[in-house]
Amino acid sequence: MRFRIVPALLLTLLLGAAASFAATVKLLNVSYDPTRELYQEVNAAFAKHWKAKTGQDLEVQQSHGGSGKQARSVVDGLEADVATLALAYDIDAIANAGLVPKNWQTRLPHNSSPYTSTIVFLVRKGNPKKIKDWDDLVKPGVQVITPNPKTSGGARWNYLAAWGFALRKYGNNPAKAKEFVQRLYKNVPILDTGARGSTVTFVERGIGDVLLAWENEALLAVREIGKGKVQLVAPPLSILAEPPVTVVDKYANKHKTAAVAKAYLEFLYTPEGQEIAARNYYRPRNQAVAAKYAQQFPQVQLFTIDQVFGGWTKAQKEHFADGGTFDQISGAR
Amino acid sequence: MNRFGGWWPCLLLLVLAAGPLQAWQEEPAAPEGEEAQEPEKTLEEKVEELDQKIRILERKDELDKEQAAEKAKTATNVTSGRDGFSLRSADGAYQLKIRGYVQLDGRFYQGDDERPATDTFILRRVRPIFEGTVFKIFDFRIMPDFGAGTTVLQDAYIDARFSPKLKVRAGKFKPPVGLERLQSATDILFVERGLPTNLVPNRDLGVQLFGDLAGGNVSWAAGVFNGVPDGSSGDLDNNDGKDYAARLFFQPFLAGNGSWKGLGFGVAASTGDQEGTLTSTSLAGYRTPGQQTFFSYRSDGTAAGTVIADGERFRLSPQGYLYRGPFGLLAEYVISRQEVRRADVSRELENTSWQVQASWVFGGEPTYRAVSPKKPFDREAKTWGAFEIKARYGRLEVDEDTFPVFANPVSAAEAADEWGVGFNWYLNRNVRIYLDYERTEFEGGASSGDREDENVLLSRFQIAF
Repeated sequence: MRFRIVPALLLTLLLGAAASFAATVKLLNVSYDPTRELYQEVNAAFAKHWKAKTGQDLEVQQSHGGSGKQARSVVDGLEADVATLALAYDIDAIANAGLVPKNWQTRLPHNSSPYTSTIVFLVRKGNPKKIKDWDDLVKPGVQVITPNPKTSGGARWNYLAAWGFALRKYGNNPAKAKEFVQRLYKNVPILDTGARGSTVTFVERGIGDVLLAWENEALLAVREIGKGKVQLVAPPLSILAEPPVTVVDKYANKHKTAAVAKAYLEFLYTPEGQEIAARNYYRPRNQAVAAKYAQQFPQVQLFTIDQVFGGWTKAQKEHFADGGTFDQISGAR
Repeated sequence: MNRFGGWWPCLLLLVLAAGPLQAWQEEPAAPEGEEAQEPEKTLEEKVEELDQKIRILERKDELDKEQAAEKAKTATNVTSGRDGFSLRSADGAYQLKIRGYVQLDGRFYQGDDERPATDTFILRRVRPIFEGTVFKIFDFRIMPDFGAGTTVLQDAYIDARFSPKLKVRAGKFKPPVGLERLQSATDILFVERGLPTNLVPNRDLGVQLFGDLAGGNVSWAAGVFNGVPDGSSGDLDNNDGKDYAARLFFQPFLAGNGSWKGLGFGVAASTGDQEGTLTSTSLAGYRTPGQQTFFSYRSDGTAAGTVIADGERFRLSPQGYLYRGPFGLLAEYVISRQEVRRADVSRELENTSWQVQASWVFGGEPTYRAVSPKKPFDREAKTWGAFEIKARYGRLEVDEDTFPVFANPVSAAEAADEWGVGFNWYLNRNVRIYLDYERTEFEGGASSGDREDENVLLSRFQIAF
């Protein structure tokens, strides 16, 4: 048999390519505080999906913390391939550092928010302080647990939800709204750095009468970590929270993981990804999945940040920047 | 008409009575300035309130510790102490240390009638040391010297630590040859190094591989250098020839706390081709511990009258030390062989030198890296540091073929015997006082035969950190 050079060469090249593909690909997902359980399940499912599709082994490493803090870490050099944070403003900060294009939010459906959530109350079992609405949080003797808006995205949603309620109550009077939120923060004994920290404070350390929480955190606490000890109270009015996701282009290109990072985020929009989100108590965008899990989510009238505050940039500048309203309020605590 | 006015008096009576009746039914009004008091809390409510306060305090403490731990991950650590001043990044990848030492010496010559030498105080060494690490494995050291009013760059090198077994050094540093030369100037036993140090290189420019094997029991080094004359330093080569130096040193009992832990022995060598010129001969003279030159090659600037290095230079030095309890012993032997030429006359000359030095410490233990007193000097605690008595003997012989062609027997001695005794006081790790008496006797080196003996009292006040 004659030795055929060309097929042998081709086979060698193919084997080499296969070998390079066989090497494990690693992604770093920098996320906000309460998404640990969500991405644990997403990562396992996507790794299986990616392996079946490409034959490549995939390992997704997670980093969790207050959304603002996480954004600063990425800007300071933490080489995230993807960022899945609590609010668009935090990803805008990464974009301003040149790591992500300015039009990042248009790259994925629903302004790059594959799931939504809202802010609800978690109270002690039996609701001894009879907390039903935002008004109850400013009463004397009620201790409210919420994280620090300077570090936590969830905390900023909490703050804006309270402010939005107060504007509605006092006929769009900002001075009254400020006074209302100031009274609320006077009832806050501890400011954790992130939403999960506040959950620990309330559920595990037994501090406070009410926790302002992401809906998914509250449902997780009621059904799992604080089962039998806490219950969820949905206020009639709250804010629609839209946690966004993005590929961090500079690092994904550097690591040569841009394609898999994009596929990872797109997976969140698939029926399987949406089911995982719903199972972890995030409100899915997919209508069919949302209908399937409708019973799990309380009925709440929701306003958006654009409707009440004119968007994140305006809200951040007015309320959370240095010298903003939160600084004025917390200085007077 | 009724004399009492009919119904209106009754109505008036009723109205008049209503006021006091109402007042009787109402609670008394609080005095002005006092607010209505909250209902008193039950014991259970008070306990719950206290419990919440305690939980809040504990949680705040927990969060403070978490934040402190987070900050510590990135915070720069600044320290100062007996080993100098340092800055260190949280992950240790970047460090800067500032150290240094100052030596104030006194030299007092006795009986120097034939060859008067000036009694003097001198700032022998004033050396700030900048050391550091970048990117975890790259170390650097820069050490200028401002002693005696001059400025010399003594050390300037970079190390790459790939592993304990393999490191690379490049720059200006001591080639791995002389045992006492390799000791830091702050750690040597006597004020000045012994005679063998005259025959080994001081500082040279080059590249060296080195490391520790067998858990540190074996140290090795091998490098290539510009090549410097005996006892000398250099910043620039004056010929294409290079010197190759290597050293193997054993400390077989280093690990553990056995009594032979302080035993070390080895051998070092260097070889190279060196060619001098009339203005840069690549040859050096030799000095006594009192820093007086007792030997030099002929050099008058002319081709006929100047000896230059001209060919192979070879050095070999078996060496060792033993530190056991309060006792210390160091010994080395050096052969320095050099092909030299004066005009048309060439010769290979071999100079040799050896020394043995011993010490006994009270209140501490000697090591190759000096003495650390068990109880530092403290007048209030009535502790005095550590005291060390010392003695040494050494000899340097110049090749007899050197004379008279290559060295003038009237001014250059053919041998020197040196002995010294002394006393060191270590107040603490940083401050040390030396007092030495050195006597050097010569063979030859004078028109009348032997050069006048040198007797010198040497003192040193040293501060190092």
